[in-house]
Amino acid sequence: MLKSRTPILTGLALLTAALLSASAAQAEVTVLGWPGGSEETALRAAVEAYNAKGDVAEDDKVELLFFNRDGFYDKLQADMAAGSDAFDINLIATYSIGRYAPYMEPVDLGAGAADVFGEAVLETTQFEGKQYGVPTDLSLHFMYFRQDLMDELMGDEAAKAKYAEIAEEYLGEALTPKDPDEWTWDDWAATALYFTKSINSDSPTRYGTVLQMKNLLFNMMVFQSLPRAYGADWMDDEGNITVDSEAYRKGLELYKMLYDAGATPKDSLSYEYAETNAAFAAGQAATALQWNAAAGELTNPETAPAVAESVGIVAPPSGPEARADHIHGLGLGLNANAKNKEGATRFLQWMATEDAALLYAGNGGSPALTPEVVAKIADERPDLVKLGDFAGKYGYVMNGGTSAKALSVYELQAKEFTGYWSGQTTLDEALANTTAGMEELLK
Amino acid sequence: MQVANRREWRILTTPLVGFLLLFLGFPIVVNLVYSVSDVTFETLRSPTITGFSNYIALLGEGDFWRASWFSLRFGILTALAECIIGLALAIFLAPLLAKRTFLMAPMMLPLMVAPAMVGLMYRLVLHEFVGPVPYYLYEWFGDSPTFFSVEAAFWTLIVVETLQWTPFAFLLFYMAYRAVPDEVHEAATIDGATPMQIVRTIDLPLMVPTIIVAFFIRFIDGFRVFDNVYTLTGTGPGGSTTSLSIYIYEAFFKQGAIGKAVAASMVLFIASFAVLFGLNWLSSRKSKGARA
Repeated sequence: MLKSRTPILTGLALLTAALLSASAAQAEVTVLGWPGGSEETALRAAVEAYNAKGDVAEDDKVELLFFNRDGFYDKLQADMAAGSDAFDINLIATYSIGRYAPYMEPVDLGAGAADVFGEAVLETTQFEGKQYGVPTDLSLHFMYFRQDLMDELMGDEAAKAKYAEIAEEYLGEALTPKDPDEWTWDDWAATALYFTKSINSDSPTRYGTVLQMKNLLFNMMVFQSLPRAYGADWMDDEGNITVDSEAYRKGLELYKMLYDAGATPKDSLSYEYAETNAAFAAGQAATALQWNAAAGELTNPETAPAVAESVGIVAPPSGPEARADHIHGLGLGLNANAKNKEGATRFLQWMATEDAALLYAGNGGSPALTPEVVAKIADERPDLVKLGDFAGKYGYVMNGGTSAKALSVYELQAKEFTGYWSGQTTLDEALANTTAGMEELLK
Repeated sequence: MQVANRREWRILTTPLVGFLLLFLGFPIVVNLVYSVSDVTFETLRSPTITGFSNYIALLGEGDFWRASWFSLRFGILTALAECIIGLALAIFLAPLLAKRTFLMAPMMLPLMVAPAMVGLMYRLVLHEFVGPVPYYLYEWFGDSPTFFSVEAAFWTLIVVETLQWTPFAFLLFYMAYRAVPDEVHEAATIDGATPMQIVRTIDLPLMVPTIIVAFFIRFIDGFRVFDNVYTLTGTGPGGSTTSLSIYIYEAFFKQGAIGKAVAASMVLFIASFAVLFGLNWLSSRKSKGARA
């Protein structure tokens, strides 16, 4: 009996040894990526192409590691604080670089990186003047609207009169409909009110817009472009917190007015990215301020058959100070505890080349590229042209928006602002609490 | 087995004491140290002891008390609802289930779904545009309630929690009900007792220990609720659906206030311990009463 088992055990031992040596040979740079969605697909394609290159040493081959998207940043923080060397390269984002910078090392991407991404985009992965990684995906906001409904409105004199009447009643001024690309925030609000069934019984949609008002930090990023257009910032040059301003008051009050008037779904206080997409794709909302990542879904006849053919996209509306679009980048940076820093750096430098960026974009990623580079992929990815255009013209990062506590600031604002929108606190209380909390966080 | 002397008692309890010291004692000591320290992710290995400042800050914070109040209300109301519905189902369905035992399986189905998945599921089910509930309410009545408004979110969460965990209470009550001897029921029927009288004067008194245990188990579970609340409403508008567990999670990860979060978890631990002692006291009191 013992005799007959020996060859089996020997075989198993050899197989195990072979598997272990094989995995050790082909996995010397580990990249912890952002799981799910277009980012993962694009990263997988890039890694496959990199590993296939003839000049990549066996010791520098790249393997990918993902963990759940839910609570990703919390787990990343716990791992990095514990000094984990399970990955050489980790995900970074503009608003969280300050939080992870103590556990990372700056990286030199080479002189060519600026030609591919441009200086402004490279800054989205910088902290205190140092480059902490290669920008892979850019996120900003598009104003999605129903072109068919707007065309009808613009060509109907009676509708225009009704529009002016509604604007007068809710906004104190008899506005006339405009091309969405020329909207101010008041024009957008008037349009949202006009296309709300409970206000205008002739409206073909139930709601004029769909707001993301859940107590969630990412929703605050979507909201900030409104007060920013009125000149809002988090801090002045001396470091004083400046959220208790007319600009923030205007933005917060406009959202609350639209919510109270029923221009956005009643459950908007529990809405985030997915719910906003669902409302707009159902054909029941005339406009939506939403992340650029939704463009693919909302303009695809398979995923949004009710509206895909008539979706228009412009940058967020303008205010008296500017037209502003929140911008942040996702990227990849170097873990200070990386086991193979040289190999990891070589991969990051390759990711910053034009070939890699185009490959990444061609596989669904959303890198922000310079006009010369994006022109090469414009037919395939027209949304990237808009992305780069809006980022260059209107992109902004709040003063303090890359600090170590930036995420906590968004969390604080989310809690206080949703408290105001839901009627639990007054505007004065919400802004006073936000100011006090931000002074503590950003001191 | 009878223990003959103190030496034997020590030998027999050593593995249990060792297990408790290793898996319960060590984390408690570490948490106690963190709870009286100024500690961040950067200083996890070298915390600075600062005394009871974390506890003082915690007890003076409105958000902590709001979260505690939410957890307390949530725990009591869900435990009550689950026990009442579970008890009613157990008593009224017992005759049917005795003949059709396969019906137990579908009744237990909600327990098979992870709480976080239940949260996500109801987010879709109650969504105004893709959810079947609002859809049919609009179709039939022309309007639908707002399930996640500030006023309604708490009750929506209560209903979702009750729907998922009532089968657990039902299972306990059903087994306790089946344990009541048939002869007792038969004797009471011969004596002319009505079904309601039998339930009130025979079944319920005999099931009291099970009812107490079920209530406390469900209360503790409800009090420390996290998954389905977090996935369904997050922390709610202005933090209105923040339970104590969510408060601790937010303080730890989102604010990086590790000392405060650990202090809050110690408070939760002590509160749970107090509840367990209460349960123990009630059970022993009941046993003594039964023996007398």
